[in-house]
Amino acid sequence: MIHQEAFEWYIAVYLFLAGVGAGSMVVAAVADMYDREKYISFIKAASFIGMPLVSLGIFFLYIDLGQGMWKPWLLIFLFVNPTSAIAWGTGILTIFTILSGIYAAHNLGYIKVGCKRCLCWALIVTGICTAGYTAVLLGVLKAIPFWHQTSLPILFIISATSTGISGAMIVKMTILKSDANIKPIETAHLYLLVLEIIALIGIVLIALQGVPEMQYSIKQLLVGDSAFAFWVFLVLAGLIIPAIAFGMHEAGKLHLNVKSVVALEALVLVGGYFLRHLIIHAGVYTQKFTEYIVR
Amino acid sequence: MNKKYAMAYVVDRCIDCKACMVACKAEWEVPEDHFRTHIDQGMKEDFHGKTRMDFLPSQCNHCDDAPCVTVCPTKASHKRDDGIVYVNRNRCVGCKYCIPSCPYEARFFNHDLGVAEKCTFCLPRLAEGLEPACATTCPGNVRVFGDINDPTSEISMVLREAKNNRLKIYKLREDLGTKPNIYYIQN
Ligand code: SF4
Ligand code: SF4
Repeated sequence: MIHQEAFEWYIAVYLFLAGVGAGSMVVAAVADMYDREKYISFIKAASFIGMPLVSLGIFFLYIDLGQGMWKPWLLIFLFVNPTSAIAWGTGILTIFTILSGIYAAHNLGYIKVGCKRCLCWALIVTGICTAGYTAVLLGVLKAIPFWHQTSLPILFIISATSTGISGAMIVKMTILKSDANIKPIETAHLYLLVLEIIALIGIVLIALQGVPEMQYSIKQLLVGDSAFAFWVFLVLAGLIIPAIAFGMHEAGKLHLNVKSVVALEALVLVGGYFLRHLIIHAGVYTQKFTEYIVR
Repeated sequence: MNKKYAMAYVVDRCIDCKACMVACKAEWEVPEDHFRTHIDQGMKEDFHGKTRMDFLPSQCNHCDDAPCVTVCPTKASHKRDDGIVYVNRNRCVGCKYCIPSCPYEARFFNHDLGVAEKCTFCLPRLAEGLEPACATTCPGNVRVFGDINDPTSEISMVLREAKNNRLKIYKLREDLGTKPNIYYIQN
C-alpha cells in the first residue's frame, strides 16, 4: 500500500483551526438566538477566536502552497474551477471569514448590525458548511478509499462544534475570566463528545469491513504505526477522559474547578487536532494493479 | 477528427531495465526523489498455481475523465484537445490537491518549482515530431505511442493485432470511471 504524501500536518492544522473557528461561531450564533443576555460571555469569547482561527488556518494552507506563496496573484485562480472542492472551500471560507468578522465586531461593540438574526442564520449555515467542507475536501478523493466516505463530514462537523466550544470556553475562563453559568452549552458539549465517540466507532467498524485499502488505513490507526497517537491523544485524551469528567460533573458526582475545566477543554482540542492529523496520515492510495498479490 | 494520443505497453516484453525511467528523468530534469514513470513488479498465481512475475510499467494515463482535472481549483491541470492532460506551470498554485486525487499515483510535487508534476507524453518533443523519450528509449519496444484516432498509426495497429491474436488488453482501474488511455497488452 502506498501512503499519500502530498497532504501533511500543515493541512491537518488548517482543517483543525477552520473547524474550531467555525464551530465556536456556530454555537455562539445559536446561543445568541436563544438568549443573548445569558450567553454573552460565551458569545464574546467565541468572537475572539472565530475569525482569527479561521484566518490562521487559511494562513497554514497558504504557506503549504508551492509557487502560489511567492506568486500571490495566482491565488485569484483558486476560484475558477467550479468542480473543485478547493474552489468551493475558498468561496465558503471567504464568506464565513467576512461574516464572522462582522459578527465579532458587533459583539465587541465596534459596530451595530441591523438584522442580527439574519447574520446569525448566515453564520450557522456558512459555519456548518466550513466545518463540513474540511471533510469534503478529503472525501471527494476516490483515490484514497479511507477518506472517500460520507461519515467523514458528519464526524468533522461534530468535532468542529465540540472543539469550537472548547476553544471559546478556554477564552471565556482565562481571558474574560467569566464564571457565568452557561450550563446548556456544557451539556451540549458532553452530548457532542458522546456523539463523536459513536461516530468514530462507526467509522472504525465500517472501515474494518471495507476495501483492503480502508482496512489497511484503519489498522494503521488501531494497531499500526499511528496506534499510540490514536489511542492516547485522540481516544483517551481527546474523547474518553473529557467525556467521563464532564459526565460526572453533569451528574453532580465531580466538582471541576476552573483550572481542570480549562485543562479538559485543552485535551478536547488536542484530540480534535489529532483526529485530522491521523486521518490525513492514514490515507493510502487505492491499488492500481488489482489482480496482483500485494506484499 | 482530433488527434487522441495514447500509449500501449506490450507488457510481456518488459525486462525491467528501467531505461524509460532514466530517459524520462534526464529529458525533463525530474527532481531527484521522483520519477514520472515507474516499473512495478507484480506477482500472481497462474491457473496451475505457479507464481509468475510481471514487470508493469505505469505513468499518467491521460484520463478522459481525470480526477486531477476535476479537483484542480485553478484549471492549471487541464485536458487538451489532443488528449493530453497537461499542467500549466504558470497557473498552478501548488495546492497539491491533484496529487492525492490521482488513483494511479502518477503525480508528485516538485519542491524546486512549487508545482505539481507528471508525465506530459513529452509534449514539447511531439511538437518537434519526436516520440516520447520513454518510447524511443525502450530497448524491448514495450511502449507504443501514437494517435489512437488514426487507424494507420502504430498504436492502432498493435492494438488491432493484439485483439486479433486474442491477447488480453486492459486498462487500469476502469471501475473508477476515469477513462484512462494507457493500454496494457498481455499474453
Ligand atoms: S492518471 Fe492521474 S494524473 Fe494522469 S490524468 Fe489520470 S488522474 Fe490525472
Ligand atoms: S497543485 Fe497545481 S495542478 Fe495540482 S490541483 Fe493545485 S493548482 Fe491544480
